[in-house]
Amino acid sequence: MPDISPETYVKVAKKGIANPVLQKALAGLQDRFGRGTAEAYRRLPEGPELRFKAHDIREKAIAHLDALLEILAAKIRANGGVVYFAQTAKEAVNYCITVARQNNVHRVVKGKSMVTEEIGLNPALQAAGIEPVETDLGEYIIQLAGEKPSHIIAPAVHKNRHDIADLFVKKTGIRRTTDPSELTQAARKALREKFLSADMGTSGVNIACAETGHITTVSNEGNIRMATTLPRIHIAFMGMERIVARLDEYEILLRLLCRGAAAQTMATYVSYISGPRRPGESDGPDEFHLVILDNGRSRILADPQFKEILYCIRCAACLNVCPVYGKIGGHAYGFAYSGPVGAVVTPLLTGINRAKDLCLGETLCGACMDACPVAIDLPRLLLALREKLAYGDENWQVKPASRMEGLAYKAWSYLIGHRYIYERFLKMAGVGQKLFPRSGTMIRRLPPPLAGWTQSRNFQPLAKETFIEGWRNKKAISNTP
Amino acid sequence: MSTPDQEYFLRRIRRALNSKPDFSHHGSPLFAHAPSPEELQILDNHRRRTAADRNALLSQLMEAALPIHLCVIPVPDLIAAATAIATLAEAKKPEWSAVKNIIVWRHPLIDLMELKAPLNRLKIPLHRTEPMDPAADPTQDRIEREHLRSAVTASYIGVTSADLCMADTATLVLRNRPGQPRSVALVPSIHIAVITLDQIISDMKELFALLRWDDRFRSEGLSNYMAFISGPSKTADIEATMVHGAHGPREVYLYVVSGK
Repeated sequence: MPDISPETYVKVAKKGIANPVLQKALAGLQDRFGRGTAEAYRRLPEGPELRFKAHDIREKAIAHLDALLEILAAKIRANGGVVYFAQTAKEAVNYCITVARQNNVHRVVKGKSMVTEEIGLNPALQAAGIEPVETDLGEYIIQLAGEKPSHIIAPAVHKNRHDIADLFVKKTGIRRTTDPSELTQAARKALREKFLSADMGTSGVNIACAETGHITTVSNEGNIRMATTLPRIHIAFMGMERIVARLDEYEILLRLLCRGAAAQTMATYVSYISGPRRPGESDGPDEFHLVILDNGRSRILADPQFKEILYCIRCAACLNVCPVYGKIGGHAYGFAYSGPVGAVVTPLLTGINRAKDLCLGETLCGACMDACPVAIDLPRLLLALREKLAYGDENWQVKPASRMEGLAYKAWSYLIGHRYIYERFLKMAGVGQKLFPRSGTMIRRLPPPLAGWTQSRNFQPLAKETFIEGWRNKKAISNTP
Repeated sequence: MSTPDQEYFLRRIRRALNSKPDFSHHGSPLFAHAPSPEELQILDNHRRRTAADRNALLSQLMEAALPIHLCVIPVPDLIAAATAIATLAEAKKPEWSAVKNIIVWRHPLIDLMELKAPLNRLKIPLHRTEPMDPAADPTQDRIEREHLRSAVTASYIGVTSADLCMADTATLVLRNRPGQPRSVALVPSIHIAVITLDQIISDMKELFALLRWDDRFRSEGLSNYMAFISGPSKTADIEATMVHGAHGPREVYLYVVSGK
């Protein structure tokens, strides 16, 4: 599989649209989870409005992020854990490798975590001669295939059972079967060996709670419990924003997270971890490390326009309703995060110009905002990014995406501000449009630079008379005695 | 205790927030020092729960357990629970080896069940976990850990109790303690939990109100590792088809001793 990055958006999106397996999988996924999540919100005792309360909780947490992280770190240290604050992806990765080397670690079992995908932990571990093993079934499948996750919760959604059967035969040497339960059993068996022989386990953090000093991990498979219970060392990686102050606030967020992620009232496993095993306990890791990651987040925090995206708890509910994600799939977004959240976070983390197609590609339909468990105004954030692209921004080192576009809009605003010239223009355009090929009454093809508009749809021609002309004529008729 | 990486990191956050170190929180309080009126109501309901309320919670639990494939089995007493577990052990086949082994927590409720006798008749060896000596030297520590590891991986059934069970979502709540290792509820193919009727609570709100404000629960807090377990392990990563037994137990049974 070739390298994907935010720059390849258009190319990979086209491939996704042309891939019937992906189209079928995405339609099924959205049909199930999109609707299921909406229904799960409706069934909340507090109703879907609870999402707005969650928004307030997240807003408060982010406003006090410094204090909350300080308290969390102090409590985890008091429980015998080690806390490391990593400014960059590189620092986080290097920390992990250093701990691994100090402890003579050869194999790392990983619980599913998008933040480790963001920092590129797997390739870095491999380069250091350490074997990373993804243990979430979906992640295991795509690791075997040498691909990247295409959905935050369902990373292998782009593969069907036949792809997976072929892959397992080739990579693990099992007898071919396309039965999902037999394939799962094969992975269960192979990964049990890995869990029991690994020296280190890693996980992400769904939500941490400052009041109690715990991080929590959420899973249905139990792989995260295995990865954080059996090996000698557990390292958890946490985006710095994933914290709330109190347990009663955490309660609201966990309920919304389970509903947003998989339309469940509760995930099968939720673990609250505050440190390594204590004296007298015969299992659990000897060492617990928490790596808290900035990697560009403090820059987002400093911008009042974009701060809201830090409220996100990465449940993937927005992917499950997005009409754009539902067609192009996750790989087009070219980074750990896809869908509407990816279209906002990826430009902010990797460069707005670099990832401009991601935010330009979304439709602003607002479905993501209705699905978001913490009611983030994603359309507003997408528009704010487009504004930066239109006018440029020094703080974010954004160059205007297209000078021509800016000029065209300037000319347009002059035109519609001057009635007399505007009407002359419409007259001319009304005559000029007769030159374009038609399909029925619609214009089939426009010349460059407007050709893009008619690439996949027809263009409504200008009416014979403008609304104002029509109005005048109508009045003239009705005034006739 | 702070570290240079932390100082630098938090300074950047403060600069971004345009704020000084701030622990006094305006608006809704960042932390609470007393239960809210809602929490007081929940704690009051918890204390006043009648036998009828408890049975209603059991029914609610059984209903919530159905769709997630958790088998909830009310039993009159511990003897009945032990008999049922022995029957189950006889019927089930081990997943990873040809021999049957069962591992159980050292726990007052489990000890009282006296599982040893019925399992002896079936010739199924029973391993009971023991707390380690907290002052053990590293070698002894390692030996005991390895002993647990081999016992738990050799077992097809793990028997535990739980601290509480939330009826609303059919969720067991287990806190870590010496002698009650978490792997017993995780590594064997079948997890059996035994609780009493009064351990069923309503929901997560009640759990957290108890953990925050009730002295019986507060002293231990969440411990260093608290687990929520809602039914058997599952995955839908292949074509969104639900499969039970991804990594954790394939089957989970909950025996509720009702005392009737």
